[in-house]
Amino acid sequence: MFIQFQEKTSKTLGQQFLQSVWQCGAMFALAVFLGFSINQFRDSRLPLFEDGSMEARLMSPSGERLDITLVEAKKLFLQEAVIIIDARPNDDYEKGHIRDARSLPWHEVDQRFMEVTKDISVDTPIITYCDGETCELSHHLANFLLDLGFTNVRILVNGWTKWQNADLPIKKEDAD
Amino acid sequence: MTKKRNNLPRFFYHGARLILGVIFIYASYDKILHPKAFAEVVYNYQILPDGLINVTAIFLPWLEILMGVFLIVGFWMPGTIIWCNILLVVYIGALCFNLARGLDVNCGCFSTTKGSSISIETILWDAAFLVLSVYLFFVVFGLKFNEGSK
Repeated sequence: MFIQFQEKTSKTLGQQFLQSVWQCGAMFALAVFLGFSINQFRDSRLPLFEDGSMEARLMSPSGERLDITLVEAKKLFLQEAVIIIDARPNDDYEKGHIRDARSLPWHEVDQRFMEVTKDISVDTPIITYCDGETCELSHHLANFLLDLGFTNVRILVNGWTKWQNADLPIKKEDAD
Repeated sequence: MTKKRNNLPRFFYHGARLILGVIFIYASYDKILHPKAFAEVVYNYQILPDGLINVTAIFLPWLEILMGVFLIVGFWMPGTIIWCNILLVVYIGALCFNLARGLDVNCGCFSTTKGSSISIETILWDAAFLVLSVYLFFVVFGLKFNEGSK
C-alpha cells in the first residue's frame, strides 16, 4: 500500500550498496572526528582510556578506598555511630530501606542535600548505598558529600540487597 | 486529463524520517552534554571491554546526532538508514541480553541521568523505532512510492 516494488532506473542496487558503504564510513569518520575534537576542548575531558575496574571506581579523588564491608557497616549501625543515606529514587526508598536510613536520591541531590545533611557534622561517619553491584548512585552521592566537605563517607556496594540478605533491620512499605 | 496523486506513501516516508530524526537528536544531546555519565551507562551494560567504553561514549552520541540531522534534511539517506538499522538492532540486542541475565541497569536511552531501568517497555520502544527504520530502508533501497502515472 505504502510502497511499491519497482526496478530502479537511475541506480542499480549494487551501486546503491556501494554508495551506502562509503556514506556509512564517512558518517563514522565524521562522528569520530567531531567526538574526539570536541572532547579535547572540553573542561571535563573524558580520557580515552580509563581504569574501569571496581577498585578504581571505588577510589575517592584523593585515592582512598570508599567501600565498606557489610560487617563494618553492621557494627557502626548497631553502635548508632553512623548516618546511612539511601541514594536510590524516592519510590524505591518508600518501598523499603535500611532502618533509620535517610533518603537523598542522587537525581534530586541539588534540591535536597541541605535538608538531609543540615544536622550532620563533617566528621560523622556516613554510609551511602543503592542496589545492585553496578549501581553508581551511591558512588556519585559519596563523592558529592566528600566534595561538600564531609570527611568520613563510605559506600556499601549493593547495600540494599546485602542488608536484606543478612537479615539486618529494614523498614518496608507494607510494614507501616 | 490529470490523475489524482496518492500522497499517502510520501506522507508516511517523510513522517517516519522526521520522527526517527527527532528521536535520534533527542537521544544524543544529553549524552553529548554529559559524556562521563554516558560512559558510566555504557560501562554498566557490561558488554564492551573497558578499553572501548570511553571511546564509544565519545563518538556514539555524535553518530546519533548526525543520523538525526541527516534524516531530517534527507541527506545521505542510504548510509544514514543503514546506520539507523545497525544501531537499533545493537541497542535491542544489548537490552535483551541484559534483561535476560537480570542486570538492573539504567537504560541511558534518552537520558544519562534519569534512573529508568531497562525493561520490556524500553525494548518495545526500540522495536517500534526499528519498524520505522526498516520501513525507511525498504523505501530508500529499491522501493519506490506508488505515485500513480507520471
